[in-house]
Amino acid sequence: MRIAVTGIGAVSAIGITCAQTLQSLLDEWSGIGKMYALSSNHTELPVGEVPYSDAELKDLLGIDEPMPRTALLGIMAAREALRTAGMPIVNSQEPIAFISGTTVGGMDLTEQHWADYQEGKAIEHIRMHEAGETTRIIAEHLSPFTFHLSPFIATPSTACSSALNAIMLGANLLRTGQAKTVIAGGAESLSKFHLNGFNTLMILDHEACRPFDADRAGLNLGEGAGYLVLEREEDALARGAKILAYIGGYANTCDAYHQTASSADGEGAYRAMKGALEMAHLNPADIDYVNAHGTATPNNDLSESAALLRLFGNHMPAVSSTKAFTGHTTSASGGLEAAICVLAMQHAFVPANLRWSKTAEGLITPVCHTEHKPLRHVLCNAFGFGGNESALILSTEAIELSEAPMTQWFNEPIHVEMVNDEMVNAFVSPAEARRMTPQMRRIVAAAKKAMQESGVEQPDAIVCATQWGCMLQSMRFLQDMIASDEQQLKPTPFIQSTHNTVASLIAILTGNHGYNATYSQGKQSMACALTDIRTQMALGMIRSALVLEFDEQVETWDQVLSLIGDRTENIARASIYIYRKSGLYQIVESQKSQDKSLYVLRFNPEHPIFAGHFPGQPIVPGACLVQIAEDLLSDMLGHAVRFNSVTNLKFRQAITPDKEVLMTITESKCTIEDNVSHVMYAQFAATYMCPDSDL
Amino acid sequence: MEQLIEQLKAQIIEALNFEDMTPADIDTDAPLFGEGLGLDSIDALELIMLMDREYGIKLADPKAGKAIFQSVRTMAEYIQANRTK
Repeated sequence: MRIAVTGIGAVSAIGITCAQTLQSLLDEWSGIGKMYALSSNHTELPVGEVPYSDAELKDLLGIDEPMPRTALLGIMAAREALRTAGMPIVNSQEPIAFISGTTVGGMDLTEQHWADYQEGKAIEHIRMHEAGETTRIIAEHLSPFTFHLSPFIATPSTACSSALNAIMLGANLLRTGQAKTVIAGGAESLSKFHLNGFNTLMILDHEACRPFDADRAGLNLGEGAGYLVLEREEDALARGAKILAYIGGYANTCDAYHQTASSADGEGAYRAMKGALEMAHLNPADIDYVNAHGTATPNNDLSESAALLRLFGNHMPAVSSTKAFTGHTTSASGGLEAAICVLAMQHAFVPANLRWSKTAEGLITPVCHTEHKPLRHVLCNAFGFGGNESALILSTEAIELSEAPMTQWFNEPIHVEMVNDEMVNAFVSPAEARRMTPQMRRIVAAAKKAMQESGVEQPDAIVCATQWGCMLQSMRFLQDMIASDEQQLKPTPFIQSTHNTVASLIAILTGNHGYNATYSQGKQSMACALTDIRTQMALGMIRSALVLEFDEQVETWDQVLSLIGDRTENIARASIYIYRKSGLYQIVESQKSQDKSLYVLRFNPEHPIFAGHFPGQPIVPGACLVQIAEDLLSDMLGHAVRFNSVTNLKFRQAITPDKEVLMTITESKCTIEDNVSHVMYAQFAATYMCPDSDL
Repeated sequence: MEQLIEQLKAQIIEALNFEDMTPADIDTDAPLFGEGLGLDSIDALELIMLMDREYGIKLADPKAGKAIFQSVRTMAEYIQANRTK
């Protein structure tokens, strides 16, 4: 199958539409400047701000209800993406997915209203603190008309790689037929919280940033949003949409080196870029342009250069970092820069790497001024805290991607929950534990124990589900920032405040370079995490996954939450999921004749089959069973078996029109829990009329 | 000087969360980074912040910390010479 990009939306310091963004890029006009909307004491720090206040943005959007600035930026970009895709109104009858990365979420409102909350005021903003709530609000406002969609929504929160990870999940949903239209990317506003946080890391340049320059002195924070509309090529063509680009390949890996620093050899970045090339079946020489992560910190640019030099050797394609235009838009950067890559391909130019003047040993030399040339394959990088490294290839040529139906074979997951102090000491050394909060120590111990019990020492994926994120460190940093008036803040609480701290910490401690992600979507966070791993398992991208559920109770935050009758659930649970078909059933009867075979299978009641459910969609257990039956038959016969169409679907019987396969389910049970349906059944019989005589 | 060294050790233990350690466990002349306490770049930032908060010393360039943070003694000497409070 082929995935087409049919719409793009871009909002940043250099424009609130793609047309403005394009013009600024071609004019080499940088959006880095003095603060306008953000009210921080650190006015000495230049920023890449979208030059409108919240009230002005609301006017532009025709919105008057309270919402985080991140949501306002997101709505603006997502609406443009749908508009350019020719979908001002989306057909809500078809499965649509809106996947939007963010880490800041509603932190801007929390820091503005913290004093109000202590007096029981302004409580309508409290829930908006949650990253997933921002995504839900954007989804509600995707159309300027009074039109309600009920899309599948998910919020990857892996700091600065969030938006690229959103695009990857979106593409995977299309490849498994779980969505027909995907809007994916990310949004992030500036906040005092992360401006001060990056300031404690001493990586903010007090001048406009200079990516890849020998004298670079750090990054400028920016804000914005960027989304791609993705659909299958045939769907796009059928509705007469213009195809702007194709998804070529992608990969997410973990550097597994350090919480904030990238490794000297750029191992994670190298693996991500190489993985994307392998998926696209392309050679390094096929890449015409790399939109680098290029934050302009001494560490990132050197590490990314090392990875680029390893991958491309002496045949370096054109490279530039557009962060010199926009600043580092953190969780939005992957979406914004993917949209910029599409603009560059459409208009055949390489954007400039502004303000570069001098090279040094180990650094790549970027393109300093706009180069006009056709671009066929473009690589876009986004790297986040904890070494979360993502790479995406966009192409003007169609690239075939594998597809698979959504069927899952998990053996019963191994869960380890809320370990006691003794177990913490057995699994976490004092040196490892030094910076961790007590709850972080528990989840690390639980994860290590789950890996030990399952025998899966290196799971292919580590995915965390969290509603509120790492609240103890977040609240420490927030309260210190407010109490000190943004002075003399400690870096450690900020470093550990991001939602992906836990998943990356475990990867670092166990040297795991595999897929790494974190979802924050309220009570649906776990459903999102499971959708991600189930989808990747169906596609054969991973075979095992460590799934973490993490939330930590913090008194100050629970007092705020009590104002809206809520509280934090204290949870530290680790589970290992393994994709395995064998061992789940036995063939109790097998009859083969010349033209057909009958199998009667009995499932091991000790190992119920977990078939999932796509959140937001009606639960159809029968359909799940049919998929399982198809997959099972395929597995047994060694080639793909698909029912032509399933009519007359009841729990008891499913017959294809041409009687190719007869399936009888003799026992089934369905329980629904947290939007994940666990379908369990004991026995079914299948008659298969073999098309080949070799059976 | 000895008094400053003892005070600094206690402050380092507190700032870097060495829960089970006492000032006596830290060798005044042992390297802070790499071997010895095995500190990393995040700890360097915490030490820069410690010097700002406790002794009124502002370091604009984190790289300058490398020479200062060789050992507790070099750090104490730098603080002695540059403290503003």
